[in-house]
Amino acid sequence: MSDSDAMTVFDRALVRRRRDRAAPGFHGHSFLVEEVAERLVDRLHDVRQGFTTALDLGCHRGELGRRLLAAGKGVETLASCDLSERMARHAPGLRLAADEEALPFAPGSFDLVVSALSLHWVNDLPGALIQLRRALRPDGLFVGAMLGGETLFELRRCLMEAELEIRGGVSPRVSPFAELRDAGSLLQRAGFALPVVDGDEITVTYENAFRLMAELRGMGETNAGLNRPRTPATRGLLTAAAQRYAELHAAPDGRIEATFQVVWMLGWTPHESQQKPLARGSAQHSLAQTLGTLEGKPPAGSA
Amino acid sequence: MTEPGRTEDQATPPSGARVDPKLLEILVCPLTKGPLRYDAEHQELISDRAHLAYPIRDGVPIMLVDEARRLDGEARDARP
Repeated sequence: MSDSDAMTVFDRALVRRRRDRAAPGFHGHSFLVEEVAERLVDRLHDVRQGFTTALDLGCHRGELGRRLLAAGKGVETLASCDLSERMARHAPGLRLAADEEALPFAPGSFDLVVSALSLHWVNDLPGALIQLRRALRPDGLFVGAMLGGETLFELRRCLMEAELEIRGGVSPRVSPFAELRDAGSLLQRAGFALPVVDGDEITVTYENAFRLMAELRGMGETNAGLNRPRTPATRGLLTAAAQRYAELHAAPDGRIEATFQVVWMLGWTPHESQQKPLARGSAQHSLAQTLGTLEGKPPAGSA
Repeated sequence: MTEPGRTEDQATPPSGARVDPKLLEILVCPLTKGPLRYDAEHQELISDRAHLAYPIRDGVPIMLVDEARRLDGEARDARP
């Protein structure tokens, strides 16, 4: 890749091909996206206001969009976009193919932008957040969920240890994910007001590590990092990793556990109605008055 | 003409499906954020500033620079 630089972590063309390939059978592997979509719509119920126009960014086959339309939040117009045309064709509303890194929406097009498990494939997340903030009207809401850095730590560890043992070296076989601790400042830098960031963990059990890896392929979520190994993992390596996985991360019923960390980002586009700190020097009462002490004199007992 | 793996899905709407005018109102060129012209005959959205024509396939705009046709005199489908 000639165009790779520090900002370019993911091969976007490969992300698109993976999603295209996953699209026809995605409904068989949509458990995680459906679960996150459910939680996202729950969060919207905590917000009093309704939203007339909404965008589902990275919509997969419309798992989130359909729930949003049924949620009674007043959405009359829903646009559903995905990097993969084949995914977007199954989504509800106004469908289109679009790249999160180069959004094709006029300023102020939406009251609400939601995104379930797509933004972790974006190279330039700050740039994407700025673009989607601009696509929102003032006092518009963005709620996004993406996979965070703790995701698949079990698989990562087992592959790494197995590869160390067999080859004496390691290569990154699981994609890097965004860190929870970065998300808040990203939102703020992108110009969102009242940002809220938190993390959720979803533990899913599978029969074995091979089933987990098949699920990841079915979701279109296999590694698309530019530094991914160019040689596929050998059967021997995968078997060793799967054995290790079964030993270290077994659920009580003998299945294996896989952790997905979901990083939630919520922010509003600035509007004068929102609470904000008062201007410096605009206080009507002195702090001393409030504390019941005399100004200029230290309270008795302090030395 | 199309790359492998991009054949039509079963759930594809019948060909001739038109893009929703509501969508045309909010779309801009992803590269320049400038306005787009709707070419109904060729089912394309044209960005004069970027010299690109974005295809509309069965009513679904494909707003990807990689998929756009360049307007600098190159023949249609000349891009890989």
